[in-house]
Amino acid sequence: MALMGQITKIIECVLRQVTAMMSIRLHGNCSGLCRTLLILLGLAVVHEGVFAADKVYPPVGTYDGKDVVQPIEFPHNIHVKINKINCMYCHTYARRSKVAGIPPTSKCMGCHKVIATDKERIKKLTQYWENKEPPPWKKVHDVPDFVHFTHEKHLKKFVFDRDYPVENVKEVCAFCHGDVQNMTVAHKVKPLNMGWCKNCHIENGGPGDCWKCHK
Amino acid sequence: MSGTVNRRDFLKMMGLGGVSATLGGCDLPTTVTLEEGKEEVTSYLVPEEFVIPGVGVWYASTCAQCPAGCGINGRVREGRVLKLEGNPETALNHGKLCMMGQSGVQGQYNPDRVTTPMMREGGTLMPVSWDKAMAAIKDKLGAAGDRVAWMTGTISGHQAALVKNHLDAVGSARHYKYETINSAVWQAVNKDMLGHAMPRLRMDKAKVILSFGADFLGTWISPVHFAGEYAKFRTHNGRGTLIVAEPKMSITGGSADLWLPVRPGSEAALALAIANELMNAHGKDASALSPEQKALINSHGVDAVAKTTGVDAGRIKRIANMLNERTPSLVLAGATVEGQADGYNAVAAIMLLNVLLGNIGNTIEVPGDLPFAQLQAAQGSTRDLVAFANDAKAKQVDVALFYGANPAYGAPDALGVKEALDAIAFKVAVTLFQDETSMQADVVLPAASYLEDWGTHVAAYQGGQNAITMQQPLMEKLHAETRGFGDILLGLLQAAKKDEYGKFADYYAYLRNAYSAMPASYKSIAGNDEQSWNAALQTGLIKVDAPAKTIKVAAVAVNAPVAEKDDTQYPLRLVASARLGLWDGRHANLPWLQEAPDQISKVVWDSWAELHPATAEKMGIKQGDQIKVSSAHGSVTVQAVLLKGVHPDVIAIPMGQGHEGYGRYADGRGANPLKILNPIQEKKTGELALAATRVSISKTGEHDKVVHMGSSDTQMGRRLVVTIPAEQLRRTEEV
Repeated sequence: MALMGQITKIIECVLRQVTAMMSIRLHGNCSGLCRTLLILLGLAVVHEGVFAADKVYPPVGTYDGKDVVQPIEFPHNIHVKINKINCMYCHTYARRSKVAGIPPTSKCMGCHKVIATDKERIKKLTQYWENKEPPPWKKVHDVPDFVHFTHEKHLKKFVFDRDYPVENVKEVCAFCHGDVQNMTVAHKVKPLNMGWCKNCHIENGGPGDCWKCHK
Repeated sequence: MSGTVNRRDFLKMMGLGGVSATLGGCDLPTTVTLEEGKEEVTSYLVPEEFVIPGVGVWYASTCAQCPAGCGINGRVREGRVLKLEGNPETALNHGKLCMMGQSGVQGQYNPDRVTTPMMREGGTLMPVSWDKAMAAIKDKLGAAGDRVAWMTGTISGHQAALVKNHLDAVGSARHYKYETINSAVWQAVNKDMLGHAMPRLRMDKAKVILSFGADFLGTWISPVHFAGEYAKFRTHNGRGTLIVAEPKMSITGGSADLWLPVRPGSEAALALAIANELMNAHGKDASALSPEQKALINSHGVDAVAKTTGVDAGRIKRIANMLNERTPSLVLAGATVEGQADGYNAVAAIMLLNVLLGNIGNTIEVPGDLPFAQLQAAQGSTRDLVAFANDAKAKQVDVALFYGANPAYGAPDALGVKEALDAIAFKVAVTLFQDETSMQADVVLPAASYLEDWGTHVAAYQGGQNAITMQQPLMEKLHAETRGFGDILLGLLQAAKKDEYGKFADYYAYLRNAYSAMPASYKSIAGNDEQSWNAALQTGLIKVDAPAKTIKVAAVAVNAPVAEKDDTQYPLRLVASARLGLWDGRHANLPWLQEAPDQISKVVWDSWAELHPATAEKMGIKQGDQIKVSSAHGSVTVQAVLLKGVHPDVIAIPMGQGHEGYGRYADGRGANPLKILNPIQEKKTGELALAATRVSISKTGEHDKVVHMGSSDTQMGRRLVVTIPAEQLRRTEEV
């Protein structure tokens, strides 16, 4: 019986997280039947192993940004869609820092010393490398200096805390960066303004304090 | 206050701005989201292993915002230093940092920094190359010999050694070290009495601190260190009692349990009366005092002193009683005592209290001598400023090099520093910013800031664990054309002594070599020089052990300090007060410190004169009236601020403002009280007596609103803080 009690407790704990994600709360006055039902539902969810992939609400709203001319027309589509390279292979700081990071030129050259060296774009890249100058990329996604946005916390919530498969991280990146796998150079397709951020925070239970972002 | 926008207009404009922003925002964001493709985002060519963009890395270094020499840690992100904090490894500041230290980043990124060497051509300073500037300097130095002079602030470590070596190389001994805010007279007394100029003060052991004008929480010697010691004093061994006697309330006075307003020049008499009471009424053992010292104390009876100083005799007796009951104690003397014409005797008289109370060897310890004499702090004073002015006017200086000193701003007009500078044929200023002195220079060399440069520092006041603190660049030079002070010195030395200094590629190489040459006991990792060096850079210091010495008190002859006579033409005493913030004026170009309110009067961004309300009423002066303050050597016009924290015979004007040529944030703001000081020198030490000037005041008829934090001195009956009358409170009755 004690064991059963413990299992119930664990399940309740898990449920609290799941229901919080679904914007339902287990109130103290929740009836016994309701609780049992939820526990059963929770068991089913856990058993099915589909946990949370569809329990987050990606931000809604679009924006048509400018076409930005980059020093090299970097083809995201070739890298992501065709060659199936993970976003975080190049934007490696995303999980560790507030910025995702532009890959260091040495990383590009790691492959392109041997791959596609006959292409114009790679020749240009090689030239930058030999001149010991990183390409002067233009910033596409940005928030004002008074906004503290961090990639690290968003990846933690939407990927790692959910045990979301990291190989599919591009689906999460797409929340804010759009369908980059079908773009060449990045194009801003989401508003990235406060109302848009705030709506997503409300939908997904993100922090609502002013100072979380304006600090 | 100038400008044409009043509050109502401002609100109107804000309203309009808000409307247009909303209208513009119809088809999604225009105001908040930044335009894409405008800024560049540059990646690393090859990433550093330990660098994560967006994540700060902390590096240790040493603060140079005042001469105290606290250790700092700077947060560096993407190659930029963004935040400074205290270094927890140091015994001096234990991870704490004052607002001047915090503001270091505003100096670093200040838009008024000098970014290129300049040379005077046809009367104006024109940009030139480093080669040309250095060639001109070397050319002039070659012929000048003993007529070469360096003027610096307090300087220590290898920079001090190189300045000395440079002067030796050219055959001169003229190193003028100039600091307006110093403790030179106090140190001179200590040197004579204890055999050590800078004893270690054990505030943590004291039960009572009696300070005569020593603003140890704000501007005295090492404020951050003393603030930490003060916290221990207030919390260890029960709560220590702080008594402060000074003419103008400082931040230390504001923290005191008893604040005594005293007329400048009457402090010594007060101290001697307390000593008299201790010796005669409480029978304190006076065997450590000489017969002459005892006679001096005996000649200052409590009642007579009470009459001349205006301090109640009962109060003097209560202070003596408390000092008698609670030992050990600590008695200090600061700027307003030192700044008298007879400051030495006044400080010595106050020090006699420490001898009588048995504080010597107890709360006043003498640290051992630090090794490496050439690295010791060469402390600045105003005596050197006077010497500089006199020597230059006597045509004894042909080439003067300035670094970290601005005599054209800080010297009283009566010293004639302007004529002195005119008399010097060739002047070189090594500087971060154009200031009043560098504007008169023939060559201006842009210095790298202390956050971009190498160096070592030895604090004049060491807090327990003696150490040499390391200074390392926290970031690459912001302006490519700037050069480190050490590199400039090395360049000059290489011209003079090629064989000795030619082997060093730069100042870093020189320092690295000097470290290797240190005895093995200074290396933290035995037998590994490189790792020890890295450890020194990581912790920010090299520990140096110097065991404390026993003290023998010398029976110094103390004469009765001569009190000034009253002067009907100049009835008030001027105190040019120092504050943690603008300091001696060097930080007037840092907006953070301009906007930080004065700790007592709460005024921002301006100069003002503090007057006691009773004095002001007598003269018909109201808060905000523009008044003209005149001494025998000039006048300044400032706003009157009525404050009970000043002695009625005193007018206090904070120093720091009144710049003419120190950049956009400093210029045209307030007035500089140092300008109108009488050039009186302290009799024994030759220091400028900064608190001995007498002034008269007159109304100009103009009036302006005083801009200060907090609008009212009363609670308007709201009982925000419940108070009881002082006489009902037991603790204040004790003193």
